[in-house]
Amino acid sequence: MSLVISSVYISILAMGVIFVVLGTLIGLIKILDRCFPYQAPSPAPPARSSAGADPEGEHLAVIHAVLSRHLGTDPSQIHLTRVSSP
Amino acid sequence: MEFSLQDSIIKILGSTGFVALGWGHLVMILVALTLLYLAIWKKFEPLLLLPIGFGCLLANLPHSMMMSTDEGGLFNFFYFGVRHEILPPLIFLGVGALTDFGPLLANPITLLLGAAAQIGIYTTLIGAVFLGFDLKEAGAIGIIGGADGPTSIFLAAKLAPHLLGPIAVAAYSYMSLVPLIQPPIMRWLTTSEERKIKMEQLKPISQTVKILFPVIATILCVLLLPGVAPLLGMLMLGNLFRESGVTARLHETSETHLINIVTILLALAVGSSMTAASFLTAETIKIIVLGLLAFIMATAGGLIFGKILCKLSGGKINPLIGSAGVSAVPMAARVSQKVGSEEDPSNFLLMHAMGPNVAGVIGSAVAAGVFLSLFGDVGMAGHAALEPVPAALASIIKP
Repeated sequence: MSLVISSVYISILAMGVIFVVLGTLIGLIKILDRCFPYQAPSPAPPARSSAGADPEGEHLAVIHAVLSRHLGTDPSQIHLTRVSSP
Repeated sequence: MEFSLQDSIIKILGSTGFVALGWGHLVMILVALTLLYLAIWKKFEPLLLLPIGFGCLLANLPHSMMMSTDEGGLFNFFYFGVRHEILPPLIFLGVGALTDFGPLLANPITLLLGAAAQIGIYTTLIGAVFLGFDLKEAGAIGIIGGADGPTSIFLAAKLAPHLLGPIAVAAYSYMSLVPLIQPPIMRWLTTSEERKIKMEQLKPISQTVKILFPVIATILCVLLLPGVAPLLGMLMLGNLFRESGVTARLHETSETHLINIVTILLALAVGSSMTAASFLTAETIKIIVLGLLAFIMATAGGLIFGKILCKLSGGKINPLIGSAGVSAVPMAARVSQKVGSEEDPSNFLLMHAMGPNVAGVIGSAVAAGVFLSLFGDVGMAGHAALEPVPAALASIIKP
């Protein structure tokens, strides 16, 4: 009979431990959710059309490519510091 | 060495299995064939019951050397993985990789339903002690109520290895019978109005939370209950493979090939432990009866706590999702969905029931950890971390 009573004590204790552990996990989830709330992904930026492209950047890229080919050097070795129009 | 024809014939006939075949073998072969029938024709947990049945068949053919206890036999090596807690945690790795914790993270209160459903374990523990089992055996039998096969095998191998066969068969058989066992209890314990409750859509969860949860939950749970580390640690690692997004190959392997291979090894090893000496006992019948009690009480516990949460939340929680707290992923959640949709076909409870379902897996692993802390070799003795603790304090902490 004492074994049955022991098993009742064990059951009460174990259920208490389970509730404490899973209750701790509830707290953890709530904290995590508060610290890192869901943010809907921002809509993808509209694709830039060629008409809206930065003309100065394009000119620089073309000059860069032409110079490197003309000089026969690696493009990363060329640094354009200033471009001025006549 | 001389051979006469007569002696050779007698020797060959004497070495056949027929000579050693006893009634115990015949009954166990019948049990094995029944398991194969249930798996193949009745589709009862075929992934488990088919290899368990075939393992049992091979183990009970005399002289086959396929019993788990046959030193040097093939299944003896497979059984090594059960005896030394290798295979059940690897199954948990696969389960973690397969399972989306999202519904649980979106509605964390459902963890309480997973906790409440563990009442089945402890009512069965008391019942088992009442029927004459000692506390360790009763703990191993009670965990059947966790409706979690690998946990049952893991704990039985540690606390009552001689009862492993019947416990595994009872656990997997009743898991396959969840769609038959649970609905009558669910209808009996809930009203029609409660079953019609529609729950709010689950909120989305950030990927950071999904990644951090398995890591921090492992640290917390293993510090609280070190015995839970093999099962819960592997479950969380599998889930981290899934959510981290940087281990696609490991995730894929865990949720497919690894879990399949380990299932074969585990089921064959369990089947090979089902011999006449270990299975054809009065204890087996008691375990089968207690297993049914465990499932009924676990379902009822989850449902009753679901009703309490329903009242506390002002009718926002459908109590039917409480029955999914018994684990048995994802079958128990499907049963909640089915019973709910019978009452109102436009009611979709599946994702809501996945929360308590996952909580049930964690809860049953925690319950196993509690048993190991109480009855296993996990504890203070010999723990290096205790060394700096003053002796007086250690003597208070030690049971």
